[in-house]
Amino acid sequence: MGIADARAMHPAIEIVEADPAADRRLLEILADWCDRYTPLVAFDGTDGLFLDITGCAHLLGGEKPLLDDLHARFFRQGFDVRAGLASTPGAAWAAAHFLGNRIVAEGGEQGLLAALPLAALRLDPATRSELESVGLRLVGMLMQAPRAPLARRFGKTLLIRLDQALGQLEETISPRLPVAPLSVERQLAEPILLMEGIESLTLLLARSLKADLERRNEGARILQLLLFRVDGMVSRITVSTSRPLREPHLIGRLFHEKLAAMEHGLDAGCGFDLIRLSVLSSVPFEGQQADLASSMEDKSEDLALFADRVRARHGDRAIMRCQPAESHIPERAVSFMPFTEAGGKAEILAARMPARSPRPIRLFAHPEPVEVIAAEIPEGPPARFRWRRALYEVARAEGPERIAPEWWRAGPEEATRDYFHVEDADGRRYWLFRQGLYGARQGNPRWFMQGLFA
Amino acid sequence: MALSAVAQETVLALRRKIARLEATLPERLAAPTDTADAVVLRRHGAARPERLLLPTGAQAFDDALGGGVPGAALTEIHGAQIRDAGAATGFALSLAGPILQRTGAARAPILWIGTTEIFRETGLPYLPGLCGHFGIASGDLLVAEVPKLVDALWIAEEAAGLKALSAVLLEIQGYPSKLDLTATRRLHRRAQAAGRPVFLLRQAAMAEPTAAPVRLVVSPASASPRWTLNGPLAGSIGPPGFKVRIDKSRTAPPRQFTLEWNADEHIFTDRRKQALPPQDHGAVVSLSQHRADPAPAPGTLLAFRAGGGKAASPDKSSREEHAAHRRPRRAG
Repeated sequence: MGIADARAMHPAIEIVEADPAADRRLLEILADWCDRYTPLVAFDGTDGLFLDITGCAHLLGGEKPLLDDLHARFFRQGFDVRAGLASTPGAAWAAAHFLGNRIVAEGGEQGLLAALPLAALRLDPATRSELESVGLRLVGMLMQAPRAPLARRFGKTLLIRLDQALGQLEETISPRLPVAPLSVERQLAEPILLMEGIESLTLLLARSLKADLERRNEGARILQLLLFRVDGMVSRITVSTSRPLREPHLIGRLFHEKLAAMEHGLDAGCGFDLIRLSVLSSVPFEGQQADLASSMEDKSEDLALFADRVRARHGDRAIMRCQPAESHIPERAVSFMPFTEAGGKAEILAARMPARSPRPIRLFAHPEPVEVIAAEIPEGPPARFRWRRALYEVARAEGPERIAPEWWRAGPEEATRDYFHVEDADGRRYWLFRQGLYGARQGNPRWFMQGLFA
Repeated sequence: MALSAVAQETVLALRRKIARLEATLPERLAAPTDTADAVVLRRHGAARPERLLLPTGAQAFDDALGGGVPGAALTEIHGAQIRDAGAATGFALSLAGPILQRTGAARAPILWIGTTEIFRETGLPYLPGLCGHFGIASGDLLVAEVPKLVDALWIAEEAAGLKALSAVLLEIQGYPSKLDLTATRRLHRRAQAAGRPVFLLRQAAMAEPTAAPVRLVVSPASASPRWTLNGPLAGSIGPPGFKVRIDKSRTAPPRQFTLEWNADEHIFTDRRKQALPPQDHGAVVSLSQHRADPAPAPGTLLAFRAGGGKAASPDKSSREEHAAHRRPRRAG
């Protein structure tokens, strides 16, 4: 029906443009929220979700209470949902789409599907209309028809769909998120609003997580806190640690920093009614023997915890370790890596570090252009230069040190750099370079300021 | 200290009295050397006395500060202008670097905190240079970079109480109101409790009331030339110089020193005390004697015939060859 026809029938009708992206976002939010029932949630087209509740139903008291709970909660959020529950995804899909709110007992798929139209098998329209043209209108008729001619005429997919719906062929759903190896959660009768409440609950959850981690002899590297809001929004808060972590109070502190940093970002709304703490990644945990005098304070542990807290609050790039890199281009010779426990490669490179020629102690991330007013042509140091709108007289200079570009890198060819260690009349020392050569074909060389010496 | 609090109080009172008699400050009196019983026995029986001062190596400067820069306190290091950042940073690191050398194998890193803005203005720490000047290797430096000053202060405060760091460097530009007396006092107290220095590196700043006991204003001094066997190499840039003015100290009157950093031994030296290396006037290579003359050069010498006769003597030629070898290479 066109808009004009619809308007003719109902003049007061409201017309809204279709917005598939917004629909998708909404479906994602719903899928997030459905995490409270099972970690295995998959999308079904643009308007449905598959929930694999294998092993999860008993947490809510069985299949019926689970379905009722889901209906009730969705209804309170303002959604009208139809759900089917069956042993196979196909049968559940059929139940949800054609019967609505039905729990199909195990083995009851055949009876259920027999009376349903072909659309219940999730077939493409072309196959469906072909089947209907030969008089096969119900799934039951399809079951009774001989299989070989069906496969020959309508393709394999038809029989695969049928077998999947009946449970003769395994069908897996593809969950949208990986399943956390360990999770603990707490359902709350009364939603909580306060940050302090969330933090103390996190501590409680971390305590119960500790026993599990100890049993597995592991420590957590990435932890996620899921906060399910009453109205269906889910907040995921992730912290990563630089060494395996197990102690509840340390986990609590990390989340404290993270929550403190995002207090404006975390909207409690009407409160959270389910809190879950998951370990997304864990590694073997090696316990350390303390000595009697307790003189061996583990300093690196303090440092790791400090770094983790800084990172939880200000992001991964807030605290970094300097590492030499394999390059002779000055700005590429050092890389800043997010703080982790000491790596092996850095040590090897460090042994090679001591510089052959003097290097500045501070380096500008991007060399700053300098206007050189007078220089010894063709390859001498500048006599006077202007940097950041101030004029500098060069008193002494050392150089040049020629650094050629890295030819093995793809990209436009850079010009050679000639570096000068320069001291101005006041005694400040700079590291300047000239890119290009005087008299070269590519035009006049340019000068840059790259670093400051002590 | 093994002394009880009351006894300590008495000692302090007596020191004050003596100081008054001698018309000096109590801090400037020589510290009593009865710390033997205050040594804490560590693992492997190694003794680690509390280090409270960081001697720089420059005698006059250390004496003026009563033995060195305080090692468990907040110390302010100012650079008058942004362009002096190299000197101010260099001085702060030259105090922090030797702490690493002293701790030996179990090195604790130095934490350098700054805002994104200051790192853009004055450049990021550059490891090869730090390694060459101050012996700071790749594992010894952590850099914390945050966009806001409040966050940098938070990190500094958390880090100041951490024993697992050798030193904390907080780099600030100008006069932020957040960094007032209270904030610096918190930093100072935490540094005292942890027994480690916290350096407050203030670029483009003037003196302001803070809780730091010592404030030093650093500006660059021209470097002395490199020394070669043949004396100073003209036109070269050798060990870096610093003009350090003691701006605030309980022991020292305001005074300026010119120090020079020795990157090999990691100590400062007073610029004016530096003696010339002993000049060697003897022959470098013993002269060959009782031998035949060296074979004459092939071909005929066309120009400079007059000077040719001079160079014929064997000992002169060897001297001059050496001298030419050691002649200072012109820079540039």
